Amino acid sequence: MLRDTLLLALPVSAAAAALNLLIYPEGTTTLLVLGPFRVTAEGAQVAGLTVLRVLAIAAVGSAFVRSTRPDALVADLEARGVPARLLFPLAAAATLLPATADRVRAIAAAQRMRGLDTEGSLRARLRGIVPIALPTLLGVLDEVEGRTLALASRGFGRPGRRTLLWRPAEAGVERAIRPLLVLGVLVVLLLRAGGVSFP
Amino acid sequence: MIRLSGVTFRYAGADRPNLRGVDLLLPDGSVTAVVGPNGAGKTTLALVLAGLVPGVIRGRLEGALEIDGVPVTEGGAEALAAVTGICLADPATQRSGIHRTAWEEAASGAASLGLAREALIARVDAAFRRLGIERLAERDPARLSGGEQQLVGIAGLLAMEPRHLVLDEPTAQLDLPGTRLVLDALAALAREGAMIVIAEHRTDELARIATDAVLLEDGAVVAAGPAGPLLGGPLPHRHGVEERWATRLARRIAEAGLTPPADLGEGA
Amino acid sequence: MTEIRLTGLVHRYPGTGTPALDGIDLHIPAGTALGLLGRNGSGKSTLIAHLVGILRPTGGAVLVGGRDAAGLRVAELARIVGVAIQDPARQIVARRVADEAGFGPRMLGVRGAALEAAVADALAATGLTDAADENPWDLGPSRRRLLGIAAVLAMRTPVVVLDEPTAGLDDRERERVGAIVRQLTEAGRTTLVATHDVRFAAEHLDRLVLLDAGCILLDGTPADLLRSERSPVLAAAGIAPPPVAREGERLGLAPTPSDAAFVAALRCAESEGRAGSRPLEEGLT
Repeated sequence: MLRDTLLLALPVSAAAAALNLLIYPEGTTTLLVLGPFRVTAEGAQVAGLTVLRVLAIAAVGSAFVRSTRPDALVADLEARGVPARLLFPLAAAATLLPATADRVRAIAAAQRMRGLDTEGSLRARLRGIVPIALPTLLGVLDEVEGRTLALASRGFGRPGRRTLLWRPAEAGVERAIRPLLVLGVLVVLLLRAGGVSFP
Repeated sequence: MIRLSGVTFRYAGADRPNLRGVDLLLPDGSVTAVVGPNGAGKTTLALVLAGLVPGVIRGRLEGALEIDGVPVTEGGAEALAAVTGICLADPATQRSGIHRTAWEEAASGAASLGLAREALIARVDAAFRRLGIERLAERDPARLSGGEQQLVGIAGLLAMEPRHLVLDEPTAQLDLPGTRLVLDALAALAREGAMIVIAEHRTDELARIATDAVLLEDGAVVAAGPAGPLLGGPLPHRHGVEERWATRLARRIAEAGLTPPADLGEGA
Repeated sequence: MTEIRLTGLVHRYPGTGTPALDGIDLHIPAGTALGLLGRNGSGKSTLIAHLVGILRPTGGAVLVGGRDAAGLRVAELARIVGVAIQDPARQIVARRVADEAGFGPRMLGVRGAALEAAVADALAATGLTDAADENPWDLGPSRRRLLGIAAVLAMRTPVVVLDEPTAGLDDRERERVGAIVRQLTEAGRTTLVATHDVRFAAEHLDRLVLLDAGCILLDGTPADLLRSERSPVLAAAGIAPPPVAREGERLGLAPTPSDAAFVAALRCAESEGRAGSRPLEEGLT
């Protein structure tokens, strides 16, 4: 999970951090000067905060994906009456990360076998981005037709109740915590709206 | 029983129709082999029979379709889809990616039928037994080989107990044992009265189970009739379809100016 | 020199107990047309991945052209070993078929007239010349597979590996792939075809290696491997000899793993006036 978080967060946070570190006009306490860039204490502080924020968002995202069993999610939502048509996209989102990771790995291997050199320098790695990202995206899109046909043939979108096979057991602790968590989120939102700021 | 009369289909945005004036009668209890070179329209025909085209994929369908004597009208694609199960060539896209076990994966289709829980479980168990893949039931579908995934997909279709089963090159990714398993199970289903349509390149394998055959080329039906004479005769080779092994061998012997042994192919 | 030598090659995927490759010893001299036969899951694709460095050995060694593959980057090995993968749609990067076929040679530094020639030849060999300007995504699955093969041919590597090249192909397309293998062999290049299509292997390849559960069970000519007394071994590995092989034995001819071999054996028998009688052949009974 740590790895996912870092992978997601790194590009964005690195860019944001660099920006704030090197160029922060409001900063008054200059730490050092690097050519045209001025590193300020205030800028460094903001950079630090931005990195933390991005990491937090990424951590939440990857925690969700890692801790959620897509089949448990689907089964529980189904039991609570969510229509089948909505279920599948939700579940597909939950499986997106590992499924895409597999796909990317396979595509990277295929392109490397055609001479794409991704080992070694940073430049080499950057060169590899488009020939790997593009087939990943297009492959997902191309599959949509086949997947839609398969789903349609398996009765998704048919009216009527689906048979419920199982539903995930819910520990007493989980049931107790849920309302508290919802309350906690509401409280934070209200405070934020009221102008109270958090770091 | 399904009847097509003068069916022509053109995908939205295509310059030529994929199917041209197709007349076809598919009786219950038959296994109809659909053969033809790639691009002949086998997949399109399969999708039309399953009610997925023009239902899910847009295009213009002309001509008449009948299920059990009842004409299929506008929006009748749903009627076809309700009684037809279709298995496509690529196992990966037919996998939902949600379920942890192959059993649950197979159950997801039949779960849309509104059956009682026990009935659903019984059906899925029976489907796994029929295909001899009980050992796969608890496996992770994503970790199965392509062939195993196909079998799980077909089990899922069988659990829905469709009247008609359409398969578009279901064994393209399977090796021989997998192919035999699937085809034998299909033959058994046909004996129980289901109507099966299967598009496939390996003519010898088809000939073992097919009762009828349709030869397509360029969207049109070149020939249709009992499987034996059609698949074993000279037409397949003339239209880019693999011949039966004995037919091909006899042809090559004749081309070499030699005399084929009188009992060629009888030991088969 | 582009011979390939695998010595004691072992591969264990992380987190699994049984090895996917369990001690493979294989020597492929330059210019061989070799068929890697085996059912799905026997280890064919794993073995191929080792030839090009995508996977590195858990044990044993892979020598390509006399050099240890472990010391070479994948991109360097790609100059020597070109692989047409099982799922060619995976790698499509271009909007034109011709550009897609040109991706590989371009990566290897080929430009200008040489690039155009390589692409043109590859498209001609795979029957895709008239589709040169089409979008690869618009091709049907079988033509995409042929495009994957064209993409490798255009790289003009001394070793060409085709992973299940005939899956889903119709009769004429299959013959085309056979012709490609023949041309490669005539040009002195090494061809390795991983397949469970026994008929194709027997007709177009000189040497067959039977793989099952990561081990090599048999290694020999099609005539050696596809004899009826091998049937139990073949069956256990999920392979059946083509019907023409059994037919030749039934009629008492010399081993006939393919139609061509049958015709040759028949001609031989007829010219010696022995058609129908059983010739003495070691080990045939």
